[in-house]
Amino acid sequence: MMAPFLKYGMFGDETSLVLAFLIGIGFGFFLERAGFGSARKLVSQFYLNDLAVFKVMFTAIVTAMLGVTYLGWIGWLDLSLVYLVPTYLVPQIAGGLILGAGFVIGGYCPGTSVAATATGRVDGLIYLVGIFAGMFAFAEMFPLLKGFYLSGAGEAMTIPGAFGLPYGVVVFAVVLMAVGGFYGAGLLEKKFATPVE
Amino acid sequence: MRGWISRLTLNQTLAVAAVALGALALFAAPYPGSKVTLDARELALVVGTEADHIEAPELAAWILENRADYRLIDLRTEREFAAYSIPTAVNVPMNVLTDAGLGRQEKIILYSEGGIHSAQAWMLLRAQGYKSVYMLKGGLEEWKDQVLFPAVADNPTATERARDERLKSISAFFGGQPRSAAAVAAGAAATPAMATAATPASPAVVAPPSPAGGAKPAAPKKKKEGC
Repeated sequence: MMAPFLKYGMFGDETSLVLAFLIGIGFGFFLERAGFGSARKLVSQFYLNDLAVFKVMFTAIVTAMLGVTYLGWIGWLDLSLVYLVPTYLVPQIAGGLILGAGFVIGGYCPGTSVAATATGRVDGLIYLVGIFAGMFAFAEMFPLLKGFYLSGAGEAMTIPGAFGLPYGVVVFAVVLMAVGGFYGAGLLEKKFATPVE
Repeated sequence: MRGWISRLTLNQTLAVAAVALGALALFAAPYPGSKVTLDARELALVVGTEADHIEAPELAAWILENRADYRLIDLRTEREFAAYSIPTAVNVPMNVLTDAGLGRQEKIILYSEGGIHSAQAWMLLRAQGYKSVYMLKGGLEEWKDQVLFPAVADNPTATERARDERLKSISAFFGGQPRSAAAVAAGAAATPAMATAATPASPAVVAPPSPAGGAKPAAPKKKKEGC
């Protein structure tokens, strides 16, 4: 048996929706348990006194990356069938900046605002309303934005491909970046430590 | 050594483990290399579950959506390709298929006139380690039948009408013209319609509802439909 299971026909679309629901529940649960249902906790990273978000997210990246690498290596996962989102560099950078600005202003990112809403936080709910209003506005304006939205090559770009590096070198470099980042984050947290509610 | 490890905190232990796994990954080759073994069971599963092909209406929808995550390969000869091709397709005749520089990770959709050449090319590419290869079911013939010249009901019910309107707009987008279901049932093949498609200057079909937010309809290739 080889992953990705859906593409090898191990289960159909309906089962994939059930699995997506269960994975979503798990994602939300761990976001909330990590304290990411609180806007105060989330924005602390911008004041450099609590970099838990950075640490949790980078840990998830490294864990998933190592998992994917080794599963591919031993032949349990067919990496070439894993869907890669097409790269539209400039529009995606613009999107990232908008999301980042929204994160700083609103105190949540999309996933954490749902987790916050689920625990009854009104600010999370308002944020979620804003997300849907933004999605609606975007959809209505899509004909105007489409040219920019699809500008660029539209091919899935990968770091090994773009820089001509072997896959393993990139994996090792990302691990070193993460570990170095965690160490640096610890130092920053000590330096900027202020009691956060 | 053991004492040193035992003094590490949990976080430090995990960091050491991550670095060790990362270092080992330097030697990892998670993507298949040039050596490829055919997994007969896997291929049989793919074929059996029909996961090896996409149908003409699905491809039409992808083109309408301006999807860019696949490569559509026309396996016919240059001459046939010049006469008519599905929009977005590139011509890679069978004899140069393996030298065409297709990526092993690309989603490749093959089509030929019927289905035989694309099925052969599918097997050829799979044997060479191309993982994401699909065939257009029924080839260009089914594309004509289902997308360019779909059969629409003569006295449609309410549900049929909605479906037919959609078929008509898709057909018009690709420069085709729907056929009457009665005529199709009576045995008129797609070919007569192909012949008529070259004649009317503006077929009386519903204009496509600016698909996917204003994509420019592919200019109807009236003169090129002599396939």
